[in-house]
Amino acid sequence: MGRRKKIVQQCERLMDRPENIRNIAIAAHVDHGKTTLTDNLLAGAGMISDETAGQQLMMDTEEDEQERGITIDAANVSMTHEYGENNHLINLIDTPGHVDFGGDVTRAMRAVDGALVVVDAVEGAMPQTETVVRQALREGVKPALFINKVDRLISELQEGPEEMQRRLLNVINDVNELIRGMTQDMDDVDDWTVSVEEGTVAFGSALYKWGVSMPSMQETGMDFGEIIELEQAGKRRELSERTPLSNVVLDMVCEHFPNPIDAQPRRIPRVWRGDDSLDLAEGMQLVDDEGDLVMMVTDIGIDPHAGEIATGRVFSGTIEMGQELYVSGTAGTNRVQSVGIFMGGEREEVERVPAGNIAAVTGLRNAIAGSTVSSVEMTPFESIEHISEPVITKSVEAQSMDDLPKLIETLRQVSKEDPTIQITINEDTGEHLISGQGELHLEVITQRIERNQGIPVTTGEPIVVFREAIRGASDTVEGMSPNRHNRFYLHAEPLPEEIVEGIQRGEISMDIPELERREALQEAGMDKDTSQNVEHIHGTNILIDDTKGIQHLNETMELVIEGLEEALNDGPLAAEPVQGTLLRLEDARLHEDAIHRGPAQVIPATREAVHRALIDGRIALLEPIQDVRIDVPSEHMGPASGEIQGRRGRVDDMFQEGDLMVVEGVAPVEEMIGFSSDIRSATEGRASWNTENAGFQVMADNLQPDKIREIRERKGMKLELPPAVDYF
Amino acid sequence: MLTFVGLGLYDERSITIEGRDALADADRVFAEFYTSKLAGATTSDLEAFHDVDIEVRDRVGIERDPEPLFDAARDSSVAVLVAGDPMIATTHVDLRLRATEREIDTRVVHGTTAQTAASSLTGLQNYRFGKATTLPFAYGSGGVPESVLTTVSENHERGLHTLCYLDIEAEREAYMGADDAARRLASAFGEDERFDAGEETLAVAIARAGSPAPTVRADRLSVLSTTDFGDPLHLLVVPGDLHHVEADALEALAGAPEDLIGSYRVR
Ligand SMILES: Nc1nc2c(ncn2[C@@H]2O[C@H](COP(=O)(O)OP(=O)(O)OP(=O)(O)O)[C@@H](O)[C@H]2O)c(=O)[nH]1
Ligand SMILES: [Mg+2]
Repeated sequence: MGRRKKIVQQCERLMDRPENIRNIAIAAHVDHGKTTLTDNLLAGAGMISDETAGQQLMMDTEEDEQERGITIDAANVSMTHEYGENNHLINLIDTPGHVDFGGDVTRAMRAVDGALVVVDAVEGAMPQTETVVRQALREGVKPALFINKVDRLISELQEGPEEMQRRLLNVINDVNELIRGMTQDMDDVDDWTVSVEEGTVAFGSALYKWGVSMPSMQETGMDFGEIIELEQAGKRRELSERTPLSNVVLDMVCEHFPNPIDAQPRRIPRVWRGDDSLDLAEGMQLVDDEGDLVMMVTDIGIDPHAGEIATGRVFSGTIEMGQELYVSGTAGTNRVQSVGIFMGGEREEVERVPAGNIAAVTGLRNAIAGSTVSSVEMTPFESIEHISEPVITKSVEAQSMDDLPKLIETLRQVSKEDPTIQITINEDTGEHLISGQGELHLEVITQRIERNQGIPVTTGEPIVVFREAIRGASDTVEGMSPNRHNRFYLHAEPLPEEIVEGIQRGEISMDIPELERREALQEAGMDKDTSQNVEHIHGTNILIDDTKGIQHLNETMELVIEGLEEALNDGPLAAEPVQGTLLRLEDARLHEDAIHRGPAQVIPATREAVHRALIDGRIALLEPIQDVRIDVPSEHMGPASGEIQGRRGRVDDMFQEGDLMVVEGVAPVEEMIGFSSDIRSATEGRASWNTENAGFQVMADNLQPDKIREIRERKGMKLELPPAVDYF
Repeated sequence: MLTFVGLGLYDERSITIEGRDALADADRVFAEFYTSKLAGATTSDLEAFHDVDIEVRDRVGIERDPEPLFDAARDSSVAVLVAGDPMIATTHVDLRLRATEREIDTRVVHGTTAQTAASSLTGLQNYRFGKATTLPFAYGSGGVPESVLTTVSENHERGLHTLCYLDIEAEREAYMGADDAARRLASAFGEDERFDAGEETLAVAIARAGSPAPTVRADRLSVLSTTDFGDPLHLLVVPGDLHHVEADALEALAGAPEDLIGSYRVR
């Protein structure tokens, strides 16, 4: 029997012992060494050859990942590790670090119970470190810390023991500050800060395969002095033989990360708002492999042979071939074709995957990343909202008309796999729009369409996504149907920030039970009466039905909502999405006969009412902005901060960190297009920088008219604004 | 002057003589066929028969952008042609009001309408009809709108007949057939306790009223829903209690099965 086969069998045996399972994710700022570390853990567990680990970047299986040297897709892998008396099954997800692929990280966190946060010892905690820690904690996932690239402190920076310790302590403090701040209001966890003494911190070099932690140092008797000596002498092989990275890290994983039995009772209430007296609720709390099947899909991938693969965490029951399963948000059931687990980049088919594990399933054709899959119909899991909305858009067109159907199919697939992408398919013009998190995100997707699908495409220049929002409350306005027999009276006001955030996080939605929605709204500051009259939520906008006893309104409401959605999708200024509005339907007059209050009448009437109310609320154009951080030698600081200021940006802070200066600020995303090459030439290539989407901001009034005109022109709309827009 | 002219029920000959004169006098003639239409005549048939040019306006041209029409009516004589009667089952009173606001004189020339046919062809008496309703092709999530069911059941309670107009979608030349309407009602009634007889409820299908060969059939909804009534336009009547003459008429003129009619007779 091959070694691999043996490990698969070991895994299969361990799958049934949840107390010996650890589901974890590795997350970090870009390039801090997650994939190198993952390779090493795999090698340590005997999954890949020791020689190639690190160089091979086993987990970066895609051609584009190897070319670009970054991880794009989260990768799943399982391995076994002996610790204490027991063998353990470790299901691990290596996540991407680049901010454009943050959606993958959020989704991975739903599947796991522990997050190994990796920080580069030289760079320290960086903006994405903060983001991944937040993503983990929000899902109730427990953190531990691995400080990587310690070899560079010794060999490159020539640091002595004290200097080194000071630097490592700084990193630990920074990370703990983040954890403390974010867990303050979480009453379901106690102290989750990490500490060397407790063994929740490890250090080492993923590249040279050595690592230490307090428990390992006690065991091996190695101290920092000895490590520095060996590293300086280039005796890395000896170092890694005496204190191998994979043992140290996997021991930490087994000791400090919760197993599913410990984690699920705490995590389920966080991620699922269904009726907790149901059998399936108990099944999830108890990790019952004989309960109803409940699985949350966190990833959709394509296997050239098996087709579409849905990967996710099984919270209750056991998934097996032939089961007929419900997929949230779709009708009917899907039949499970095969189930498996991941080994390296490959899927191994197994008979069954019980609760507490991560399963790879084929046959779930209706599932998308984020679906709830179950053997009985149930309230779906909280949606995994990736807070960062798409900010940048590119058009794609098939070069040959013959490829059009294939392109459309591919685009549909893309949005199934990556919910942080928004696809607008226009079958009439053939010009489709892809909106995503950043330039790289779109570049990767379009390149994959061309390469993997072999569809030559033409892409447009990237354009920024705008929003529209009101600045104050409106008067009550009227919208009239074309036949003038139906009238709607609407009032608009801005939604408080807390409610908008609640919607974005998925805590306030039409998918949760009404009572909970009311409570969440009231908690976020909405008065009781209003919260009881919520009729619809669209984007971050809420429709309140304040009318009483209007005949026929009930059966007309669907059309009202349709008109409202159209009006909000295409705002009155530049047909950009409207956000953060509370709309109150105060009164309505309806025609007696359904035919005279059909779609052709009601939809234009509500659309008109909504737009009028928005204009009366002084609607304005919002643009996406980014936080920018530049690390640069002090002699280049001037040109570097100039690069921010010259882009309608604002420098907020400049400070020294190590031998580098750090410049922090914000700038509009639109101006940041092309930043990479400009900053490189401005600093002779000496700067490193990070950007992170930071939401939307009202554009300066004096810039509004031109920008609105530009967008209208691009969209082929008529150029003059509605006459009521007279406030710019 | 703006004259609303009813074209009557079926073809170019269904108009009244009064209407024909109004047409002959008009400087410009507009028409709309999105609320109803003549099943037996095209626009060119009308143009040839009356020797006029007709400018057909769609919904937008009447409801959203009626100004050109008003402009014409300000200093010349304009006729607007509508199938049936111009003010029944349409919303043109609004157009008339808007013209009046603009101080344009208006006049109405009647035409025969579905409501007349529903009584005349079936023998159901006009004074025993309750509120009328329309069955739409699609409304919200589909099915029969609650307001339609309320109308029929309230009429039923008072023993009154219900005339159901059937949706037409001019743009895609779709006309709801009486069989389709019967099918929709049969399934809605079947799931609604207000309708004791469910899909066995008596109804009358009328096809091509106003033509030389109209069809009138009274039977259970379940039977009507599998019957082919031929070319448009169709109507459906859901009778309430039947006066004995009404019952006799349905049997004799509309082939209503005796066993079914029995339970509807008022004793
Ligand atoms: N010197 C040194 N280099 C390392 C170490 N770990 C990783 N690297 C290097 O750092 C670079 C990035 O490593 P990756 O493992 O791809 O980093 P990552 O965090 O997976 O990157 P993304 O997935 O793109 O965010 C590579 O060039 C590695 O060889 C280490 O311990 N020491
Ligand atoms: Mg990586």
